[in-house]
Amino acid sequence: MTPTAIYTKNPDYVQRDVAGECILVPIRRTLTEANSIYVLNETGAALWYRIDGQRTAQDIVTDFCNEYEVATDQLANDFTLLLDDLLSIQAVEEIAR
Amino acid sequence: MCYTDCFNRPDAIRQELTTAEILRIMDEVAAAGTLELCLTGGEPLARPDFFQLYEHAIRCGFLVTIFSNGTLITEAHADRFAALRPHRIEISLHGMTRETFERITGGQGSYARCLQAITLLLDRQIPLVLKSTAMTLNMQEILDIKRYVESLGTVRYKLGEEMRPELDGGGVPFQYAMSEQDLADLNQQDTDLQKDACRRDSVEAPPCRSGMHSFHIDAYGQLQLCSGNRRQRFDLRTGSFQSGFFEALPTFVCEWKVPQEPALIQPAMHHA
Repeated sequence: MTPTAIYTKNPDYVQRDVAGECILVPIRRTLTEANSIYVLNETGAALWYRIDGQRTAQDIVTDFCNEYEVATDQLANDFTLLLDDLLSIQAVEEIAR
Repeated sequence: MCYTDCFNRPDAIRQELTTAEILRIMDEVAAAGTLELCLTGGEPLARPDFFQLYEHAIRCGFLVTIFSNGTLITEAHADRFAALRPHRIEISLHGMTRETFERITGGQGSYARCLQAITLLLDRQIPLVLKSTAMTLNMQEILDIKRYVESLGTVRYKLGEEMRPELDGGGVPFQYAMSEQDLADLNQQDTDLQKDACRRDSVEAPPCRSGMHSFHIDAYGQLQLCSGNRRQRFDLRTGSFQSGFFEALPTFVCEWKVPQEPALIQPAMHHA
């Protein structure tokens, strides 16, 4: 995770709240992804909600740590993994570093 | 709406939901947490506002399946599907010859248009399912249809054996139902069909979960348990989907549905 990086959500993903779960549905899909939707766990969803194209990654981690009792290093690791996954499916894009 | 059936006379079509009503209901259904949406008919593409509805559904984040006869899908339509992709499109392919196909659909030229639609969608890699209902009119061509579908590579084939009455309860379709012996003979000629038949025969039908995991809304805004059981209804023109699904639907009767029990785990399939 680059602390100063800023990420924005891809509008081609629609966020759905279904039975208490946060689901990302791609609306422009290739055949290989046709049946793929993505379910975020509770932490993943809380981080996803904070990605707004304005706050840096470090701002998001700090904001999250202020709200929940969690070790900053652990959360930074989790956020790095989540961002890698979101970038790999093009659900987010890095717009500043 | 459909242009080939006899139920949808102009006076019935005029009573169908308006665009604004459907969009409002769709938003309510999405807000309630529904993930999968099937647009069917009749023929859904017969509505002039079909793509307005379809694209709204996609942008709501539904996984949209379309049941179509394929005959109205043009190149421009296929391009729109490619731009905002459906979860899948299921097309009814009832015959492998023009004579049989058009005898069943009643639409002159429908065979060529259907095959053209299949090509247009395949060219754009739209997830496709082709399906037939086995009946006396096409029983000699079912295996040819299946072989044709298999030759297409990525396309799935589904064979249905269940005939349904007309929407007004009329039994005309049943005159085309195959006998059990003919169905058994057909299934024995193909390994996949035989496997499916064995699976159906060996497993006791699970209790119906319609109204709990799934529901049906007809063209007039009536919320029902499923398309096969329209006896009781809740009017979404006057009531909200939230009220209809959570308050009215659980009270609707279906002979396939077991009474609610305080069991901690229950099968999660339905017959529709």
